[in-house]
Parts: sequence; structure tokens; C-alpha cells
Amino acid sequence: MERAIVLAASAIGAGLAMIAGIGPGIGQGYAAGKAAEAVGRQPEAKSDVTSTMLFGCAVAESTGIYGLVVAMILLFANPLIGKL
Amino acid sequence: MGSEIAVTGPRVLFRIGPIIITNTVVTSWVIMAVIAAVCMYLTKNLKVKPDSKRQIIAEKLVLTVYGLIDGTMGQKWRHFAPYIAALFAYSFCSSMSSLVGVKPPTGDLSIIIGMATITFIMIQVVNLKYKGVAGSLKRFAEPVPLILPLNIISEIATPVSMTFRHFGNIAAGGVITTLLYAALAALSGLVLKIVPVAFIQSIPIFQVGLPALLSIYFDVFTSFLQAYIFCMLTMVYVSGAAE
Amino acid sequence: MPNNTFELVSFVPWTLIFTWCNLFILFLIMKKLLFKPVMKILEQRQNEIDTMYDTASTASEKAKELEKEYSLKLASANEQAGDIMKNAQAQARKRENEILEEARGKAAAMTEKAHAEIEQEKKKVYEEIKGEIADISVSIASKMVEREINAKDHEALISQFIENVGEDK
Repeated sequence: MERAIVLAASAIGAGLAMIAGIGPGIGQGYAAGKAAEAVGRQPEAKSDVTSTMLFGCAVAESTGIYGLVVAMILLFANPLIGKL
Repeated sequence: MGSEIAVTGPRVLFRIGPIIITNTVVTSWVIMAVIAAVCMYLTKNLKVKPDSKRQIIAEKLVLTVYGLIDGTMGQKWRHFAPYIAALFAYSFCSSMSSLVGVKPPTGDLSIIIGMATITFIMIQVVNLKYKGVAGSLKRFAEPVPLILPLNIISEIATPVSMTFRHFGNIAAGGVITTLLYAALAALSGLVLKIVPVAFIQSIPIFQVGLPALLSIYFDVFTSFLQAYIFCMLTMVYVSGAAE
Repeated sequence: MPNNTFELVSFVPWTLIFTWCNLFILFLIMKKLLFKPVMKILEQRQNEIDTMYDTASTASEKAKELEKEYSLKLASANEQAGDIMKNAQAQARKRENEILEEARGKAAAMTEKAHAEIEQEKKKVYEEIKGEIADISVSIASKMVEREINAKDHEALISQFIENVGEDK
């Protein structure tokens, strides 16, 4: 019973943790929009803008990735079950 | 269901006494051998006047790494170039190895921690070298001694964030690919139920082709991007420690 | 089996140590097998290019020097040629003048000679005429003496005289 509760809570927790994906989604969309603007203004700097945007996006992604890692820990390497 | 979808970490291949050798480590060795072979092939009988494509590729690679170093760290860090190249090659080839069906070493947390700890140690060593013991300790208490714990946490957060960024991206790719394969197998099983032959029912028709599109993103694009970012962050942090 | 497989998010210290070693070995591989030979070849190429540039610059310097020398030589040759031309012209003019002078002198001498001859001839003729006239006068005088002279005779005599003169001439 306790195990079932912990597993269910972990599954819900994993789902909640993935809400963190909203932040990077918005942020990367904003960055991509800005990059598109920049390319529109200066098409000759397209490669620079693209690489900078990708780098920034990947760094901004880390919060979402933390959420993902937490979700993965809860799903695949649940430390809470061991505490029962 | 649970037995079908097996999302697991590294598997122990063999043990020598207390030493555990996992499949990801063996894959790493294979990748290293491949990289060494490629390097040897590329630099085979170099000439002052290049007449082969592979020499041009080798020179282009070396100069690209040097250009990256010059642009991010500055000319005086050029001795760093081989390490950055090694890091990039290792990370990229490891992530790409999931294309041939083995478990990517970069999807193993221990290996990423190893990569990140080297960067962390490098940051500390450069700090000690350029600021001395007192200077490198003093930077934790700046601008006011009150935020000392915050500074320490942010110092440790650097390798942690690097680790989880790289690991999360590659492992998520692996998880999603596994789930997709399972889902496609279930789907093809459902569709093929109309055929009353057990052998045909077991053919996973949807697994052909469709996952390739996904793996272009998760294996090629993400591999390159994560390797690039890991190297870039290493360069930025290490050169930033010298200032 | 569960003992042999780790969880997805798991940490194996041995793998960490292996990774350190692996990365270090890979660093050495990169350094020894890729960067060193390529940089060596690039350095060699740079050296070659440098020496090429050096030889090219020395060659161009040499060429410039030669050009200068040749232009100097050319200028002096031109000058010499001009001098020679001038000399030749001067000489030619001198020679011309000389020839002209000589010709003029000769012409003058010839004219003079001709004049002198004419004069002499004149004198001679004059002398002859004089002698003739004297002779005629003498003969006339002797005829006059011989016979009486009338008007008709006079006239005849004069015409004879004139005729003689014309004949003598």
C-alpha cells in the first residue's frame, strides 16, 4: 500500500517536474524570435546570429533539463522507494 | 508492459576484482580507438603542398579548433586546443554511437560527471595559478562576505549544470527513442492483428523509417549541439577563471 | 541480472575514474596524432612561404637595381649619341662652310682670271687696233701724199677706211 502511494506520488511528481519545460519553451521561442528579427535586420550576420542563438538556447534549456532529470530520477531511479 | 520497456542505465560487462567495467566504458574505448584511427588516417603522409582531401580536412579541423580557442579564450590559451578537440570528439562520437544501437557513453551519468569534474578541476587550477591561494579563496567572499555560501553553491553549480544539461539531453533522447520503439511495436502489433498469422503479427512494420527522423534530431543535432556547448562552456569558464 | 544493470540515473565511481583516464589518453592522442603533425606541416609551409617571400623580395630588389643601372646606362648612351650627333653636325657644317668657302674662293679666282683675261684681250685688241689705225693712218697719209685729194676721194677714202676697220675687226 505504502509502496503504491509512493509510486503514484512519484509519477505525479514526475509529471509536475516536467512543468519546468514551459520556461525554456517560452525563453527559447523568445530567443528564436529575436534571432529571426536580427537576421531580418542583418542577413549577412546570419551564421553568427544562429550560432549565438543555439548556444544561448542550449544554456537556457538547462532549467528544463533539471526538471527532466528530476522526472527521470523519480521514474527510473526512484530514491523514495528505498526509504520505505 | 514493464518488462517490455526497459529504460536502464549502464550494464556491467565484466568485473576484475573490485573494478567494475560497464558497457559504456567499453564503448568509450572503442570510440577512442576509432578517433585515434581517424587521426592517424587524416595525418598520414602530410605534405607541405597538400594534394589529398584528407590533409585539407585535417588542417581545417585543427584550424577550426584554434579559431574557436582564439575567439573564445584568446591566443595565449592555444595549448588548450587538443583537450577541447578531444572533449568535443569524445562527446560527439559518444552521443552519435546511439545510431549504431549501443548505449551512448554520454547517456551514462558517471561519464558526464567525469567530464564535468575535469572542467571543474581545471577552473580551480587556473584560479590558483592566476590569483594565488589567497586570491582564489577571496573571490568567494566578493563583493560582500555575506554571500559566501551563495558563491560556493554557484561554484559547484557550474559542473552540476554542465553535467545535467549534457546527460539530460542525451538520456532523454534515449528514453524517448525507447518509448517510441515500444509504442511503434505496439501499434504495428495492433494493425497487423487483422492478419491471422502469428509470424506476420510479430513484424514491427512501423519501426522501419519513422524513428530515423527522430534520431536525426536526437542523435545528430543534439549530439553536435551538446558537444559544442560543453566545449564552449569549458572554454568560457576556464578562461574566465584567469581574469 | 538486477545486480548487473544500473538504473538510468546512477553513479559508478569506477566509470568516473575510467573517464578521467580516457579523456587524458584522448587528449594525448589528439595532441600527438592530430595537432602535432598538422602544426608541424603548417609551420613548414609558413617557413617555405617566408623564404619564398624573401627570395621574391630580394629578386625584385635586384631587378629594381638592374633597372636603375640600365636606365642610367641608357641615359648616358643617349647623351653620348647626342654628343656624337652634335659633333658630327658641327663637323659637317664646318666642312660645308669650308667647301663653300673654297668654292666661293675658286669662283672668285676664276672670275678674276676671266676678268684679267678679258682685260688683257681688250688691251691686246686695243693695241692691235691702235697699231692698225696707225698703219692705216700711215697708209692714208702716204696716199694723200701720193695723189691729190678731192672731195670724192675723201669720201671714198673714209669709207674705205671704215670698211678696213670693219674688215680688220
